[in-house]
Amino acid sequence: MNENTYEKIYLPYIIKWGRRTNWLGVLLSFGPAFMLAVVFGVVPPFTAILNGFIAIASAVGVVWFVEPISYFPIIGVSGTYMAFISGNIGNLRIPCAMVAQKIAGVEPGTKEGTIIATLGMAVSIVVNTVILTAGVAAGAQVLQQMPKPVVSALQLLLPALFGAIFTQFAIKKLTLAPIVLVISILVALGVRAKVIPGFASILGVVFLSIAIGVFLYKKGMVK
Amino acid sequence: MEQGNYLEMANSMWMWLAAGLAVAVVLFQAFIFARKSYSTGLEIGLTRTQMNDAIKSSVITSIGPSFVILSALLALLVSLGGPLSWMRLSFIGSAMFEMMAASFGTQAVGVTIGSDPMTHVAFANATWTMALGSIGWIVFATLAADKMDKVQQKFSGSDTALMSVIASAAVLAAFGGNSASHLIALNKNTVSCIGGGVIMLILSPLADKRNIKWLKEWSLFFALLGGMLIAVAWPF
Repeated sequence: MNENTYEKIYLPYIIKWGRRTNWLGVLLSFGPAFMLAVVFGVVPPFTAILNGFIAIASAVGVVWFVEPISYFPIIGVSGTYMAFISGNIGNLRIPCAMVAQKIAGVEPGTKEGTIIATLGMAVSIVVNTVILTAGVAAGAQVLQQMPKPVVSALQLLLPALFGAIFTQFAIKKLTLAPIVLVISILVALGVRAKVIPGFASILGVVFLSIAIGVFLYKKGMVK
Repeated sequence: MEQGNYLEMANSMWMWLAAGLAVAVVLFQAFIFARKSYSTGLEIGLTRTQMNDAIKSSVITSIGPSFVILSALLALLVSLGGPLSWMRLSFIGSAMFEMMAASFGTQAVGVTIGSDPMTHVAFANATWTMALGSIGWIVFATLAADKMDKVQQKFSGSDTALMSVIASAAVLAAFGGNSASHLIALNKNTVSCIGGGVIMLILSPLADKRNIKWLKEWSLFFALLGGMLIAVAWPF
């Protein structure tokens, strides 16, 4: 019966509503452009729109595929719908999902893990929206008076976040983690030397790490 | 010609309306997903305590990163106005992406953000570029979510230990990859990255071994803050 609730009721509900809300989200992301066109009569020339699109697509196009695939094992179906409509995935949604899973004592990739990740991410969406709304209400003038050192110090939170999350998982996978770290650093050096193309590299590291993880698991070297 | 005026347009009621609708959809989805997850969680054997603790820890974890995002909002506000900046950082993209998309969009009509005066058309093209550049994620994720689940089920069957190994490998790779670029930079970012890692290495086992609940909830927050402070104080 437990099996049924998740597979037969929960997942179909999430898939149905996930699709509806996300397609609506795709539509609404053109809302500002639509308002500018209809209310203010400002429409850029088609070539400008196309050039802008080509520039951004060549910069991040591969990431459209890399991120959903890389993060799926942690956040599952519901998390995937949520993460990509709300954005700020690596720097906010995934950390929240993982801390929530750890606190609740559930494993990522399981039914329980997916449900807890969904709760964690939903909360992060609310908190993030509240903080940003308060920030934008405080207005540019107030925000701009934030001292420069504070603003530049805030940029240093992100590397600490990446290091901390990596470590949190490394503690649980002591055999696998050093191997992944070495591969990541080699690939990063390769990217810097322009031997390896930037965005393709992350997906490569993800698949290689999963392959090594599965291999070590089958050999009984990773639990 | 009409420079400066574009901000009136960018900060108009209409833009707030468009932005508000998009953010409302995100919040609506979060609400219905959370409600369904909570009730299903109870049915499959998760306890209220487990789920409430997860919720509380997530509030704490969200605070630090949200302030980083707020500082990005500050950078966007100046050139894109309130509604668009607010919407873009609550919806689909991320701070780094939005800056890049906005500058590509304005460059396509010959305006460099920060040095040239923004025009109406440049602003409009930035909104187009941000929208077109970000829907790739949501389109692929929406099309693939249920299919990826089937692939995963087929691959690991009911072997939850294997599933956990796959998930951990993916996380380690994703965050190892992100860390690696900071590690090889050999600057304050490197210090912050290592600092965050070391603090986590100390706090996480400590919290687990002694079963200190508040420390489990706050350890990531401390790691972020500590990593940042060490990097700020580091003498280079």
